[in-house]
Amino acid sequence: MADALVLTGVTKRYGRFTAVDDFSLRLPTGEVLGFLGPNGAGKTTTLRMVMSIIYPDSGQIEVLGHSRASEVKDRIGYLPEERGLYRKMTVEETLNYFGRLKGLRGHTLHERINESLERIGLQDWRRKRVEALSKGMSQKLQFTSAILHRPELVILDEPFSGLDPLNVDLLERMLAELRRAGATVVFSTHQMNQAERLCDRIVLINRGRKVVDGLLTEIRERFATRVLEVDGRGALDDLARCPGVAAAQITAGHARLELADDTDPNAVLARAMQLARISRFEIQRPDLQEIFVKLVGSDGQMPVPAGRQEAVRG
Amino acid sequence: MDKVFSVARREFLATVRTKAFVLSVVLMPGIIVGAIYGSEWAERVGREETRAVRRIAIDDQTGVVLPEFLQQVAAYNAERPNQPLEIEPVSGAAAETEALAARVQRGELYGYMLIRPDAIALDGQGCTVARKDNQLETGRRLEQMINEAVYAVRCRDAGLDPAQIARLRQGVPIVWSDAQTGKAVGVNPVFQFLTPFAFMFLLFMGTFGISQGLLTTLIEEKGSRVIEVLLSAVSPLQLLAGKILGTVAVGFLLMAVWGGVGFASAQKYNVGELVTTYRLLVALAYFVPGFLLISSLLAAIGSACNELKDAQSMVFPLSLITIVPMVMWYYLAEHPQSIISVVASYIPPITPFVMILRVCADPHTPAWQVVSTLGLLWLSVLVTMWAAAKVFRVGVLMYGKPPSVRELARWVRYS
Repeated sequence: MADALVLTGVTKRYGRFTAVDDFSLRLPTGEVLGFLGPNGAGKTTTLRMVMSIIYPDSGQIEVLGHSRASEVKDRIGYLPEERGLYRKMTVEETLNYFGRLKGLRGHTLHERINESLERIGLQDWRRKRVEALSKGMSQKLQFTSAILHRPELVILDEPFSGLDPLNVDLLERMLAELRRAGATVVFSTHQMNQAERLCDRIVLINRGRKVVDGLLTEIRERFATRVLEVDGRGALDDLARCPGVAAAQITAGHARLELADDTDPNAVLARAMQLARISRFEIQRPDLQEIFVKLVGSDGQMPVPAGRQEAVRG
Repeated sequence: MDKVFSVARREFLATVRTKAFVLSVVLMPGIIVGAIYGSEWAERVGREETRAVRRIAIDDQTGVVLPEFLQQVAAYNAERPNQPLEIEPVSGAAAETEALAARVQRGELYGYMLIRPDAIALDGQGCTVARKDNQLETGRRLEQMINEAVYAVRCRDAGLDPAQIARLRQGVPIVWSDAQTGKAVGVNPVFQFLTPFAFMFLLFMGTFGISQGLLTTLIEEKGSRVIEVLLSAVSPLQLLAGKILGTVAVGFLLMAVWGGVGFASAQKYNVGELVTTYRLLVALAYFVPGFLLISSLLAAIGSACNELKDAQSMVFPLSLITIVPMVMWYYLAEHPQSIISVVASYIPPITPFVMILRVCADPHTPAWQVVSTLGLLWLSVLVTMWAAAKVFRVGVLMYGKPPSVRELARWVRYS
């Protein structure tokens, strides 16, 4: 299937500050992409460029097969990081307006509004003004209005920030549904556990540059710290001297072994089985958090230049 | 285009539903109608009000004015039986200022009057009048009565009959007629003179009362961060166009309501001939570009600012220029063809207001001036909208301190 999103050598500068630097990405249709990076890494700028809200200084962006998102705006759903609604509009008017702006009309629009309100449990609030809603309710209304037109590509900028646990759950379910319906989803986050749970693909950006990108499984494999945990009865101490073991922490009945890069864990296991009776053996999966910290390192926190007017975030 | 209309529709509804708009639609004509009927009504009520007898002490040192004055008072009391005056002649110790003042203080007297000995002489010392309130009408009438009384004494001294002189001074009826048609103009010249102002005021309120709304909604949209959601659905240009379109529609509605009220009251007061089709057409012809010009300027300013306060200080120079026709309306209407009036017609932000004044004041304002001012106005609309669209594109996503004029110019050049 064609790629939903292709970025080639995209660069965006604000004065002397380069927000996004020669960024390239390819996202196949139907996948969920987690866009990771510390604050100020260039996530929001990139997503805004994808949405044609701002334009890159150089490089190409292809969205749903078109050279500009503005040509396919009705097929994209967008939830910006800074979320807002018209306070004086009623819930129904809000959905009606955003639906119209995304090209929905008449009966379809009406039905979608009904479905959505039922879905998020705001039927009784449809004639209430947005200012009367609780924060959680407005958040629900936000996502709903972003995907009312059943977009093929959904772009969510920090969708989980500031949500209460119930809404986190709702949003995760909505994402899962979108994915089942065949939509391509991009969301930026710095919450690794969510990315791990929801994404097929990850791209990590730091200081405007891509650090790594690929399928989540591949990345895990590539950046595995290769830690072996072994439980058993016998002379586990000798495992420390086993070839390929770089470091070992051994206590009674338990060994935690860090392996050198090209060591086959199976060879170590074979050695362990000679030394002791093994009751548990595990190749520890590295979590995204560790990879993230390892790749971005201690200089991950990048200050937003002072005096700059545009919110250069994400 | 469909989306532009969606934006326009929301903008229209959002503005029309605000209390401020409802108030301005209802209140303005209400105030005008109220001012017309209300003053009539208040005057009638004032006349019909019953007052206790007001006693005035008079020390007539001429010895001849008092009888004439009493006649005047009698005529006044016949005219106003519910608010009678009573005169008490005083002299000697009773006429001392302290004694009279004390009586006023005690409420026995409304006031007192001293007619000096040489009051009848031309360039004489005249009278001193004191009373406990400042009621305008009574004061004016008292002055008038003294004058009439002294005048009657002077006439008689000169051997003339004051009643006959009054008859001889009767006014000549004058019929004003239209210079072209020769038909009589049945309109009070004051009304006629005020018409250009009324038209300009309509245009002014229609333009500024409404286009300010653009500023507030834009700042609200930026403040609540709705703007980014909007921009994911429509282009900045569509958004700008929709907002201006919606606001123009509000302006039209307001003009229609006010114009309708104005037209209806013009008919009621038989001054319908002041509201000619030509004047209405000219008002419309200038309203549209004038409104577009002002609203695109305001949209640009609104998009660049995050707080109403900042926006208002940026709007200030614009307000300063546009207040000129308001301040100078009398001059412009009195001298519609003077060099100052002609020059002011070619300053785009105030062109509509100056021109409507001039055209209403002098229907023979040269057609070439009408055409060329409209042309210049439309040209400036195009330039402003082009620049506003650029500022808007950059501005709507800017947060933080408002940009300087130099920065704005940079946005226009580079975006």
